[in-house]
Amino acid sequence: MKKIISLLLVLVMVVSVFAGCGSQTAPETTAAPTEAPATEAPVAETEAPTEAAPELSGTMKVVATSESYITLFDKFTAETGVKVELLSMSSGEVLSKLRAEGGTPSADLWFGGGIDAFMGAKEDGLLEQVNFEASEELDPTYKDAENYWFSKGLTIVGFLVNNTLASELELDIPASWADLLNEQYGGEIIMSNPAISGTNYGVVNCLLQTMGEEEGWKYFEALNENIAYYGRRGSDPMNKVIADEYAIGITYLDGTIDALLEQYDVTIVYPTDGIPYIPEGVAVFKGAENVDAAKYFVEWLYSNDENLALLAEIDKKPSVKVIKPTMEGIDLAYDTSILVDVDVALFGSQRSAILEQFEILMGDKAVEE
Amino acid sequence: MYLELSHLKKQFDGKDVVCDLSLTMEKGKLLCILGSSGCGKTTTLNMIGGFLTPDSGKILLDGQDLTRLPPEQRPVSTVFQSYGLFPHMTLLENVIYGLKFRGFSKADARKKGREYLDMVGLADRAGAFIHEISGGQQQRVALARALIVEPKLCLLDEPFCNLDAALRVKMREELKKLQRDLDMTMVFVTHDQEEAMILSDSMAIMEQGHLLQNDTPERIYRNPANDFVKRFLNLDDLIWTQDGKLMKIISHQM
Amino acid sequence: MKSNLNRIEKGASGDALFRIFGNAADKLIIAVLLGSICLFVLYPIICIFWQSFVGETGLTLGAYTDVLKGYRTSLWNSLFTGVLTAFFCTVLSVAAALVISSSRGWVKLLLMGVILITMVSPPFVSSLAYIQLYGRRGWITYRLLNISWDPYNCWGVIWMQSISFVPLNALFLSGILTKIDAASIQAARDLGAGPKHILLDVVLPLMRPGILVTLLLTFVRSIADFGTPTIIGGRFNTLASDIYMQLVGYSNPAKAAAMNVILLVPTLLAFWAYRVMLQKSDKLTSGKGKQDTVNLKLLRCGIVGWIALILSMLFFVMMVLQYVCIFSLGFMKVTKGSYSFSLQYLQQLLKYDTATIWRSVIYALIVSFVGTFFSMLFAYYTERRNVPGRRFFDFLVMMPYMIPGTCFGIGYILAFNKEPMKLTGTALIVMACMLFKQLPTTTKLCSAALTQVPRTLEWSARDLGGGRMAVLRDVILPSMRPAFLSCFAHNFSSSMTTAGAIIFLINPGKKLLVFQLFDKVYLGEYPMASLLATLIIVIVLAVEGLVWLISWKEGKRRVS
Repeated sequence: MKKIISLLLVLVMVVSVFAGCGSQTAPETTAAPTEAPATEAPVAETEAPTEAAPELSGTMKVVATSESYITLFDKFTAETGVKVELLSMSSGEVLSKLRAEGGTPSADLWFGGGIDAFMGAKEDGLLEQVNFEASEELDPTYKDAENYWFSKGLTIVGFLVNNTLASELELDIPASWADLLNEQYGGEIIMSNPAISGTNYGVVNCLLQTMGEEEGWKYFEALNENIAYYGRRGSDPMNKVIADEYAIGITYLDGTIDALLEQYDVTIVYPTDGIPYIPEGVAVFKGAENVDAAKYFVEWLYSNDENLALLAEIDKKPSVKVIKPTMEGIDLAYDTSILVDVDVALFGSQRSAILEQFEILMGDKAVEE
Repeated sequence: MYLELSHLKKQFDGKDVVCDLSLTMEKGKLLCILGSSGCGKTTTLNMIGGFLTPDSGKILLDGQDLTRLPPEQRPVSTVFQSYGLFPHMTLLENVIYGLKFRGFSKADARKKGREYLDMVGLADRAGAFIHEISGGQQQRVALARALIVEPKLCLLDEPFCNLDAALRVKMREELKKLQRDLDMTMVFVTHDQEEAMILSDSMAIMEQGHLLQNDTPERIYRNPANDFVKRFLNLDDLIWTQDGKLMKIISHQM
Repeated sequence: MKSNLNRIEKGASGDALFRIFGNAADKLIIAVLLGSICLFVLYPIICIFWQSFVGETGLTLGAYTDVLKGYRTSLWNSLFTGVLTAFFCTVLSVAAALVISSSRGWVKLLLMGVILITMVSPPFVSSLAYIQLYGRRGWITYRLLNISWDPYNCWGVIWMQSISFVPLNALFLSGILTKIDAASIQAARDLGAGPKHILLDVVLPLMRPGILVTLLLTFVRSIADFGTPTIIGGRFNTLASDIYMQLVGYSNPAKAAAMNVILLVPTLLAFWAYRVMLQKSDKLTSGKGKQDTVNLKLLRCGIVGWIALILSMLFFVMMVLQYVCIFSLGFMKVTKGSYSFSLQYLQQLLKYDTATIWRSVIYALIVSFVGTFFSMLFAYYTERRNVPGRRFFDFLVMMPYMIPGTCFGIGYILAFNKEPMKLTGTALIVMACMLFKQLPTTTKLCSAALTQVPRTLEWSARDLGGGRMAVLRDVILPSMRPAFLSCFAHNFSSSMTTAGAIIFLINPGKKLLVFQLFDKVYLGEYPMASLLATLIIVIVLAVEGLVWLISWKEGKRRVS
């Protein structure tokens, strides 16, 4: 026992001393950070842009909206030898973390999440420019003019309606955004706080653009009367509806929502007066440890239609076709004309003003005198 | 002189607890520091042991200045009032604890430990834990533990005060015998006059931080320094006969 | 015997060397302890403060004026929730503590079992169970009682917080109850007091300081809790949930930091009061008497006894329901409104990457061992040694308790994102964050244990020639064996279940189970979340059981 204690005393001291020196003492199974400095040097030497796949090594760390993308990254690993570590994080969290990290990001690639956050990150100078040949083929509406961010698809928004509840409460199935203002829906609509949900931010921004500022805000003030509460998680609207808690959810629509029809008694509504959407971003973090691998991943993804097809399959939505119109072998299930006609660039520039006003509208924040 | 305390002073919160105490004793003797509670006797002992640092003054032992040494470097060991035995160690482990720091091999230490346990009559309980033995036995373990390191000076802080009267008398005899057999120099703190008179080679009587008298019990009996000493020792009730017997008068008043 | 004396003078074995280097090591330990507290508590907190003053155009108080003007309602809500939660939770805790400590036999075992399991409560899942049980379509409220009500409001938050903070409080209070001198109860009975008066005149008054401590600690926990209002608050915001929203939604760390600093004001007041109370509490129940069961028949204690019984039964039933709900959710599949048994999610779980499970356990083990020793050492140096500035450090160590976890985590990123102290992305920063976040509780546990170690034991070790290191090695650490177990258990379960502080510190490739759980809750995959929560509970109970068994065997071996 005594020996153990002495040993642990030493251990405590060693660990603390290490802490003081700022080294790492983790019995890591995947000792990624210790490898990183070693890989940095050779990468720096091969700085010159190359046509073929550059000499890549080490690990690429990715923050993504979901872990389901792992099959896509597995393919990347198989082709380039770069190991990929994936972490699921919401775009708001990513942005907060990036800002706190002060230019030393702990991940290399940002995959998915509302485009507004990417635009904000570009403003803050947190993203890396990625120039590659195939970027010419991408629809310029959905990518940054200077190639700081790209889109990997569009999230389109509609309603999910719980049939059981609707008939119980004698509600009509709403068909349009205008319908939602009907007072029969009072306290039965749920949407997420647009600050936390890129999807719902897309709704607010798109409708403000199509209705015009004044009309738009009037609309949301009226809608506010019918909203039960604003979820603090992006998945709340969908979850509360399938759990029979609320009748109507304002949610993203994709293949996963279609799949719900089998398991739950729900109806999917594509609003007739316009479908809001928001592009989902892809970008490389400036100053990241393995910038080269991340940059190559972006090029790899958009240059080969096979990779984009795999992405579409994972996402259960064909909207990559909108991003890269030249792509073949994939059919867009809907006509892009059903989407609202908005200026994507405004997603980023209006973000803080919109969110601030919305915060007051929700009653979370008092109006400043 | 073997032990020499000169002009020791100690204050707690601005209050004098020990005032200008000077005291000497010879090697191989047993000195009792006697006084009522709060007189500064335990403070004095703690300064000799190194648990308190005197505000001023010096402590010399066998020519070595101990005043600023930490307890672990003093050739002094202590038997605490509450014994301070380690509850997580066996008797034997307790007794040989101090030998660890003196370069003993485990085997030698255990051998010597058994000798000392035998000396205090506890050889058969070597593997027992402290809570498994009686108060009197704990007292002996504490004594053995202090003596085994062969200190130049052994301090005892009211070691018998937790024992019942009969056991106390028995332990006194054992302590005196051990002290003589080992030729050990001891400082013994007590508030029990009888204990002091019986045990000590010389007696230091303290009151409110001051040393009133330091002499052999018989000389103090014959010539108490002042009235306080006389009253404190109940000298009127004691008779020291010419042939060296000390008798106590127990008056039986109705 | 004389020959031995020579050896004594010359001695140069390992132990003797230990003594010689002991003093240097002693100084080194102090330096390391205090240094790491400055580095891992003070510095990140300073960074948070600093952040709250940084605006787009240099230093500004803008964040503060914004928060004080715009979020007064949230601040008020925080205080309102805090006060009511503290009150309800304390009443429940006292009731539960009375029932636990006055029961015996298998009833006691059962109740303790429930308390121990519910102590390991992974975050968020209690709130999920609440919605499942008492929600709009709750199994109890809707299916059983056929009432439809809206659970997303402040009362839901208050109720959930109240019952989820009970286990720790009940354990603390029943600890105090067992320390009450049995003789006081006997004396009261001897003087003619019936059970009712024993409860009212002896037991409750003696618990009073403990009750006050419970009130204050619950208040602080409540206002720093962001998970409950985030999930079941609905339109109800507290400052803690606003802080979370500022970080994950608005990406505005400056505002979050300012909110945090404002939230610290009531917290610091509560803590100041807590310190005063705690000192009194120690005095009232410093009795040596340790009894397993308080001799009190609650059934015969009149109305107060009945209330206590009913409340605690209510609590225990709700807890059992809640955990049954969590355990069973993972095996249920909903198809068009009807539930069916399904192993589908379990199969998914079994395919889980086991690396994450191992990593979580290893991190938690490291944090538990290092953290426990750190707390023991810290408690020893601040309680027993005149370390300079010990009051200040004692205060510093309490700080992580008062700061919502997410903000503490952001502080770590702010503090350690630059060379030469770049720790972001390492495992160390995650473990350090867990360790220092838990230090407030574990150091208190150790300090309490230390008061049972008499000073003379330290003196004995030094007197016999051991240096300061020997005191630590041979006296302090072995005597704190009971504290070791409780500290370890607390550290381990917290490390496995703390999400807030590490959300921002986790990096790709270094996922932890609790992060996965958070992710599943966030994505709304509740059955998976339930299974993960169950897995975490099982792991924690297994590891703690193992540690308990080892230390029990060790203790037994030593006694026999």
